[in-house]
Amino acid sequence: MTQPFLSIRGIRKTYGTVTAVKSVGMDIAEGEFMTFLGPSGSGKSTTLYILAGFQDPTDGDILLKGRSLLSTPSHKRNIGMVFQRYTLFPHLSVGENVAFPLRIRRRPQAEIAERVKAALKLVRLEGFEDRMPANMSGGQQQRVALARALVYNPPVLLMDEPLSALDKKLREEIQFEIRRIHQETGVTILYVTHDQEEALRLSDRIAVFSQGEIDQIGTGPELYSNPATRFVAGFIGDSNFLDATVVASHAGKAKLSLGDGAVVEDVPLHGASTASGKASLMLRPERLSLSRASVPSGIAVTVRDITFLGNNVEVSTATSAGADLSVRLPFGHEAISSLARGEKAWLTFDTASAHAFA
Amino acid sequence: MAVTVATGAVKTKREGTFGYLLPALLLIAFFFIVPVLMLLVRSVLEPEPGLQNYAVLLGSTTYLRVFLNTFMVAGVVTLVSIVIGYPVAWLLAIMPERWSRIVLAIIILSMWTNLLARTYAWMVLLQRTGVVNKTLMGLGLIDQPLALVNNLVGVTIGMTYIMLPFVILPLMGVIRAIDPAILRAAALCGAGRLQCFWRVLLPLSLPGIAAGALMVFVMSLGYFVTPALLGGTANMMLAELVAQFVQSLVNWGMGGAAALVLLVVTLALYAVQLRYFNPARGT
Repeated sequence: MTQPFLSIRGIRKTYGTVTAVKSVGMDIAEGEFMTFLGPSGSGKSTTLYILAGFQDPTDGDILLKGRSLLSTPSHKRNIGMVFQRYTLFPHLSVGENVAFPLRIRRRPQAEIAERVKAALKLVRLEGFEDRMPANMSGGQQQRVALARALVYNPPVLLMDEPLSALDKKLREEIQFEIRRIHQETGVTILYVTHDQEEALRLSDRIAVFSQGEIDQIGTGPELYSNPATRFVAGFIGDSNFLDATVVASHAGKAKLSLGDGAVVEDVPLHGASTASGKASLMLRPERLSLSRASVPSGIAVTVRDITFLGNNVEVSTATSAGADLSVRLPFGHEAISSLARGEKAWLTFDTASAHAFA
Repeated sequence: MAVTVATGAVKTKREGTFGYLLPALLLIAFFFIVPVLMLLVRSVLEPEPGLQNYAVLLGSTTYLRVFLNTFMVAGVVTLVSIVIGYPVAWLLAIMPERWSRIVLAIIILSMWTNLLARTYAWMVLLQRTGVVNKTLMGLGLIDQPLALVNNLVGVTIGMTYIMLPFVILPLMGVIRAIDPAILRAAALCGAGRLQCFWRVLLPLSLPGIAAGALMVFVMSLGYFVTPALLGGTANMMLAELVAQFVQSLVNWGMGGAAALVLLVVTLALYAVQLRYFNPARGT
């Protein structure tokens, strides 16, 4: 059995009576791009800081190639990191910033020059050696920070929301660069973000953090098509939630009553059903079909609003019980031509694409 | 037409700004520039026109020793203030706010205490039978009391104490402005505590060190009370010399010349600081 490259085991972190991280564990393969996704305060950054050695966990261990990192101070961990804020050394030129880790390691001058050049080439900033950080854009500064974090070939690169200070267009451009750099260098990356789109675009696997715990780890498609919890369902992709009651359940599939006599069968059920049978039915807006003719098994709704989103059209509807349901249809779909507000419609869906959370 | 209007607007605005500065400018002009000019004039006119005052001042070993004493004491005081003040400033910068407020209050309160009272306190502490000597002798570290007052040692100790806040306050501001994430980044790059300090923290706090050092050095050059009380008659400093010329010898010519030499040195130092450590220049 091969040991995992990087293993996070039962990490817990408390500050006095406040628990920042309840229990976090995972194995990460060499060369993997793993993203910690979650809202602020979910413990993802704390976990990253524990990996970096800026904080000690209350409990748990971190093993890199089978050896515990915890007793090694930050500066000896040989880990690379790019921060949320701009952390280039303002008194040093770009070239000297990138050379910094190598100078600390007392590498020969010729090797430093060569590796700084290669690192700047990797982030497409060749020839910027003599620039001062203050004279660069935010995107450029983060690229230099990336070059500085990679120049000493660390086995693991940590990235703490490195693009959150940049505007959307620049963010997407650098996301693409990070992907390319990951593929070119093969470095193992742990990436923290609260942006699901960024997580989906970059990662091999995503760990969804919620309240100091990991709700689910999986690839983007896995999380999208088979969310383990209501929180994951709400965080990855867009979703509608309807109150429902579990009428019967068998082998992970449930029969649900939606009120108004509407009943759906064979919906994948997650979590142990409670005595009351109360559950949440999750429906993806893009997996709903809209019919203007009455469908007996459909959910009867009233059209509230129609929003043009470019290639999609979003139809906001409400059930008779007042629950909001949005439907996303391709632009030009015949069901929505001349559809008007206040009109009655019926929504249907493939039960396999829906999920119930008890 | 439009151009004329625009220029007019700018002019009005500038005049407005100048108006606000006027009271301060008048004050400085009457109470600083005019007296300085009068000193300059008297230093070259009294007792007779010529540069002989400056020739005497810069040509005699007695007076040169006064200059030497002054620069040496100011230099040592500056150096010691920074060496002692830097760790304090750093601690103040990283301490939790409620603690740093208390420490800061203590530092500032000491600045508000009467200068003479503080200097006499040092005389009591440092004299032959003072607390310092008694403690050292009690511990068996020395047999004879050390000569800590009426010499430059006493002056240096007393002045360092008085100057410390002037180093700590600007340094604290500069260190506080350094993003801790930059130090974390340095640590992950492999820099241990010492390297973080030498390669990152110290260079980044250099503007604060320069500002504090200049302030302390310049203030020390012209300091009067502490050298007069804690120093001996044998080790005169420049301000004492000026006072002696004016008060005892009523020689305004020599007094003015000495004061102007001091002013020129001060301005030169200020120019150096502006040139090399001006934060606006990004260095």
